[in-house]
Amino acid sequence: MLFRQTTYSLAVGFMALLPFSVGAAEITHELGVTDVPDAPQRVIALEFSFVDALAALGVSPVGIADDKKRQRIVAEYTAVIGDDWQSVGTRKTPSLEVIASLQPDLIIADKTRHSGVYDTLSQIAPTIVLDSLGGTYPEAIEQTLVIGDALGMKGKAAERVAEHEAVMAELIAQIGNESHGVNAQFGVTNATGLWLHSPLSYNGSLLEKFGFSSSMTPQEGEVYETNYVPTTLEQLSVVDPDLLILGKYADPAFTDEWAGEALYDSLKAVEASNVYTVNAHKWSRMRGLLAAEMTANDVLEILTEFSAKQ
Amino acid sequence: MNARHRLPLQAGAIAVLAFGVLILSVYGSLMTGGRSDIRLSDLFTASTNGAVILDIRLPRTLVAACLGVNLGLSGLILQALTRNPLSSPSILGINQGAALGLTIGVIFPSVGALVGLMPLAAIGALAAGFITFSIAGVFAGRIVSLRLILGGVAVGAFASAMVRFSFTLEDDLARQVLRWTLGNISDVRWHHVQSLFVWSIGGTVATLAMAHRLNLMALGEAQASGLGADPRLTLMIGALMSACLTGTAVFVAGPIAFAGLVVPHMCRFCLGPDHRILVPATALGGACLLMAADAASKWLTSPVELPVGVVVAMIGAPYFLYQTLFSKGAI
Repeated sequence: MLFRQTTYSLAVGFMALLPFSVGAAEITHELGVTDVPDAPQRVIALEFSFVDALAALGVSPVGIADDKKRQRIVAEYTAVIGDDWQSVGTRKTPSLEVIASLQPDLIIADKTRHSGVYDTLSQIAPTIVLDSLGGTYPEAIEQTLVIGDALGMKGKAAERVAEHEAVMAELIAQIGNESHGVNAQFGVTNATGLWLHSPLSYNGSLLEKFGFSSSMTPQEGEVYETNYVPTTLEQLSVVDPDLLILGKYADPAFTDEWAGEALYDSLKAVEASNVYTVNAHKWSRMRGLLAAEMTANDVLEILTEFSAKQ
Repeated sequence: MNARHRLPLQAGAIAVLAFGVLILSVYGSLMTGGRSDIRLSDLFTASTNGAVILDIRLPRTLVAACLGVNLGLSGLILQALTRNPLSSPSILGINQGAALGLTIGVIFPSVGALVGLMPLAAIGALAAGFITFSIAGVFAGRIVSLRLILGGVAVGAFASAMVRFSFTLEDDLARQVLRWTLGNISDVRWHHVQSLFVWSIGGTVATLAMAHRLNLMALGEAQASGLGADPRLTLMIGALMSACLTGTAVFVAGPIAFAGLVVPHMCRFCLGPDHRILVPATALGGACLLMAADAASKWLTSPVELPVGVVVAMIGAPYFLYQTLFSKGAI
């Protein structure tokens, strides 16, 4: 009896130790649970926000979906992660061959863009899927913690997030009451259209965090209907924000053609010259701790100018 | 009594019906949009709402009308030239060819700047039409209907595959190209009207001038040349005009399928086979269809807009099926 009990408890004890001896952590993500090896060394990031998380934690990836443009990984990131990573193609259609050839031990993929290739990616390496494109700012913070967990840096991630929250709190304190009651709207425009980032989007939720309000009506549907809403001039005139922040991918941008039209000129933000241009890449494509701090600094600048006019 | 004058329906009834449909589609297209507080009476007040109608909605309505004219006429010409009721810019791959021309211009800005996007669309349309016609044996003087349709489907599929290939390029470029895959007129202004209007008016006049030749084509090429109209010349002018009309339409809105197919049929059903009546009727009918589709595109899923091409396809695709299943001969 005693012998059996001892054997039993030994077996249980051994099973409890098993995950540690193999070195796997169970990470729960958008598409399920993945066993990730302890402290992965060869990480591939398929969205810029994952690069942000890696930079925040001081981890250098081996591969990044950089849209085949290395400069899309901005200096703020490369200062930490260095330049020794390889491009694995575009975020939309990353090259599975290049990913496999890099022999990763962790792939971080996006829910909207990469759910379709999740099975294939999982065959290459343990893959976790997070909702970067469709996620809000608080969700981006959560994702940084999940990535930290996957990297075996749970404690450091929590520390880093706390640090970030202190920085943001200070910036928000500087903003103070200035943003209260101000209707602010961010949108990106290229040569062919304008997409407003709704309160459900990363930038929308970030502006909310800074104390701004929004007058966009929430929509149902997929990401490009709910979060990044294609908007005509007439629709923009219904939203009619006090403060319009635009990221322009093209010069002249689509919205530039509206200048001089009666409806555009009658917008509150246009009438009071409160249309501000920001770096479209940093605002729209980048999400995460470092990105949010860059955005916050921009907002602070814009708000100083905005308040001076009031 | 001459067969030409025996209309299937009473002429007066048709005129009243056509006028009613025209007024309704103009009204529908003008009164829908992103803002719900706009009335027709605003047009007569110097207000922002009046400016919305003048600056945003009127050009859009006119663009829709012009697109309908261009695509309807293009379809009418193609159906006459090929003596095939299924011929239309989208079935023969001409729409998709124009879109491919534009896509090339967007992806290679140097080419786009050198040739211009509108000529690229026309060249793409012409090239696609030429290949389809060659496959069908149009230039050899003997059109094989099945080859025409299959050739068109193949050319269209190839062209749209090439356009879709560019989706794998980066987001920003893909979004620009996306514009050339679906008919969309959500953000047109007066300068778009300018580039279309001339073609629509000119196209109507030119097609009207060709109406007799198109009638002769319907008799068959041998009879046409026997009656003094060289079918090769008709074919050449017709194909060129069809490509230009389609090219300009695609340049402004992207490919809109089925408009060029449905409108000539409806007109033929109501008015008989004489192209001297069919040309103005198709122009008017096309304009009405597209304006009504424009209204529906803004209203059906409000406040989000559907691309107008989707709405036209919703109307056109069932008609296409009906035509395929119930048409007599030819196919």
